[in-house]
Amino acid sequence: MKRRSFFLAVPGLAGCWPAKKRRLNVLNWSDYVAPETLPDFEHEFGVYVRYGTFESAEEMLARVMSGNSGWDVVFPPNYYIHPMVLMGLLAPLDHSRLTHLDALQKEFQAPPWDKGLRWSVPYMYGATGILFQAGLEPRPQAWADLWRESWRGRMTMLDDPAEVLGACLKKLGYSLNSGDENQLLAAKAEALRQKPLLRAYANETIRDQLVAGELLAAQVWRSTAMRAMQAAPGKLNFAYPQEGFPLYCDTVAILRESKRQELAHAFLNYLLRPQVARRIGETKLESTVNAEARKLLPATLREDPVLYPPAEVLERGEWFEPLPARVQQIRDRIWTEIKSA
Amino acid sequence: MRQRWLSFYAAGAYLFLHLPLAVLAVFSFNSSRFTVWEGFTLAWYEVAWRDEHLLEATMNSFVVAASATGIATAVGTLCAYALWKRGCLWISATLYLSLVTPEIVLGVALLAFYQWLFRHLNFQLGMHTVILAHVMFSIAYVVTVVSARLRGFDRAQEEAAMDLGATEWQAFFRVTLPQLLPGVFSAALLAFIISFDDFVITSFVAGVDSETLPMVIYSMARKGFSPAVNAISTVIVFVLGVLILLVERLRER
Amino acid sequence: MNRLRSYFLAPAVFFLVLLFVTPLGIILGYSLLSRGAYGGVELPVTVENYLRLFDPLYALILIRSVAYAAIATLVCLLLGFPLALFIARSQKHKTLFLALVVIPFWTSFLVRTYAWMFLLRDTGLINFTLQRLGILSEPLPLLYNAFAVVLGLVYGYLPFMVLPIYAALEKLDRAVLEAAADLGARPFEALWRVTLPLSMPGIRAGTVLVFISCLGSYLTPDLLGGGKTIMIGTLIQNQFTSARNWPFGSALSLVLMAIVMLMVLSALRRQEDRL
Repeated sequence: MKRRSFFLAVPGLAGCWPAKKRRLNVLNWSDYVAPETLPDFEHEFGVYVRYGTFESAEEMLARVMSGNSGWDVVFPPNYYIHPMVLMGLLAPLDHSRLTHLDALQKEFQAPPWDKGLRWSVPYMYGATGILFQAGLEPRPQAWADLWRESWRGRMTMLDDPAEVLGACLKKLGYSLNSGDENQLLAAKAEALRQKPLLRAYANETIRDQLVAGELLAAQVWRSTAMRAMQAAPGKLNFAYPQEGFPLYCDTVAILRESKRQELAHAFLNYLLRPQVARRIGETKLESTVNAEARKLLPATLREDPVLYPPAEVLERGEWFEPLPARVQQIRDRIWTEIKSA
Repeated sequence: MRQRWLSFYAAGAYLFLHLPLAVLAVFSFNSSRFTVWEGFTLAWYEVAWRDEHLLEATMNSFVVAASATGIATAVGTLCAYALWKRGCLWISATLYLSLVTPEIVLGVALLAFYQWLFRHLNFQLGMHTVILAHVMFSIAYVVTVVSARLRGFDRAQEEAAMDLGATEWQAFFRVTLPQLLPGVFSAALLAFIISFDDFVITSFVAGVDSETLPMVIYSMARKGFSPAVNAISTVIVFVLGVLILLVERLRER
Repeated sequence: MNRLRSYFLAPAVFFLVLLFVTPLGIILGYSLLSRGAYGGVELPVTVENYLRLFDPLYALILIRSVAYAAIATLVCLLLGFPLALFIARSQKHKTLFLALVVIPFWTSFLVRTYAWMFLLRDTGLINFTLQRLGILSEPLPLLYNAFAVVLGLVYGYLPFMVLPIYAALEKLDRAVLEAAADLGARPFEALWRVTLPLSMPGIRAGTVLVFISCLGSYLTPDLLGGGKTIMIGTLIQNQFTSARNWPFGSALSLVLMAIVMLMVLSALRRQEDRL
């Protein structure tokens, strides 16, 4: 009955459908669990899971900000945890119900954004780097390579202020999260110098152009890079820039408004199970934070140098952090100037 | 002679309008996930058929767009007629203002308004809040299109009907409305495509069970669309296209 | 007489007051508050958000956006008018021809835009075909420039022009044109002297709808223009998303709305031209 009954019911209008079954409302990125993750959970716990999706972290926040949204579990990026706690949106986690927490990799048991995992459980992590044509000479290894005159018009940067300013700041040897006005102005100058060399500021849309060889190198999210490399094996390479690069971690958290705290905890604990996390790690092109799950991955995936780079590479990474209002305002003004130039 | 040139032009214009549609239809049969032709497959139609999230969102979109179009067309047509009878600067200005309001501002404003309302009444975001929002932003479009048709109307017609003993109501329904219909139909088509395709406002006012098709499609953007989206778009165009053809046939009878 | 009119106005007024005017009041309030650190608004009350607007940067962005919107509207009019004329004049299949105008818009904006990117890019269908035919040796840069932005805007809002013009023209009696012809008017003269004036209400309505929509668009410049220029729509969108500055976004929108309203109302000075 359950999954296709919307053909019979007037969709949505019923609101409380399916009435008989307990339900859990989960708001996540599109297609960010393994195909069997939710059906297995529904089967085991006898519940119905509504899996809603958002387009950007901002949209996610806007949708739950009312505190009366109806969602139970959300997947915020790590730098949203602090703001969401301040807004009183998240429920504290009950560790006695999260029995699989110790399956997490050491670093993620006390991450900088939520030291005691009071509000969130890490889910998967990703990075930003450079995707380039495999035969490209010289081989791009640093953000500075994306300022190369000879590749004029055949490079792109992400259409995202934090990413573009982040790369410029890193190129100059500063922190991604810098709020120092002079450093930000220096980063703006770099971005302005780079702009004429770029074909575009674009996100996922350039994937096919990289596969087709129209672009030589691009700043990309690693998930985009993984998909492009899968589409054209051997044709493209990914580099973690030498000056350092952004890292971000998607997390799972429970909303304070949720009236199904117990079930929500059960869902979080279920996602932490090594077998469940392994299947997610196998099917979603990001890195699992679950050490036990990683051990279970097939060797080719476990040793993949892009998904699981060696420790000395990861050390160059820096986590995105929430920025104070003053800094956001300076950054927005700079971004508008860059785009307007 | 001139009509023939016009037909040639129209063919070109239709080609321009339908070229992207042809592209997405072709790629719905492509066995690769990417925009490189690999071979013919129907697999994406099966994927779409099995994707409850996508199907439910499509159903939601139809329910929202059909309800909003129906309500907004009725409300807007009456409003346009009333304004044609005697203008009212305040109402016209408000209608224009609702057109010039950026979508995201409408979204934020409506969300804040609904939240304020919810504090006093006990209900949640859902299909009703989405439909109300869509009706609101469609009204001005309907009024604009219907007014364009009313502009050249001869007021004497209604007066003549009333001289012959018709009441105001009869004059409107029997004399004016039938002549308005092409304008009302155009307005409804416009309202439908605006409502069916709205993402920004809907994403603010949709609740747990009222995600629409554009919301699902936009949320895929970060990872690249699955060709299943092309498949479902092709089916929608096909189904609605056949429906229009049937209506056309029936009308000709 | 007046009773009927108030009955007819009541539903529209209800929707507009409840769901537009009241929320707009909230936005007006937002524009006078301070930003919350991570979105939302906080006390104290301030006019700083309006003062920030006195900045040549934002004026420049506005002027550029108006220019793009004006060009796209003009192209829409030039392309849309003959098409509306064709539909209005066709004796058979009017509904079908009209439906053909809106059919592409039953798909998602995002999917259509991606299809355009596939058509326009260096190895895309258009360049591929032209190169295969030997017309071009180097790919034409069609994507990520002003051309692509205008094309995207024109494509996206063409129905907004065609539908009102059709609505105005459809009532145009063939008899009027035949009369004009009988009186010795040449076809072009009949078009210029008879058809065009009669379609003016539709042209006005279409122009307003397209111009306003183009001015508010934010994804077309980003996706087809390659994000290399910022338009007012994107600037506003950014304030509510990445910049998380709702009060400034509200102030910016209200000022934009005031300017556009002035433009529209001064273009439609005569009362009978307005709604």
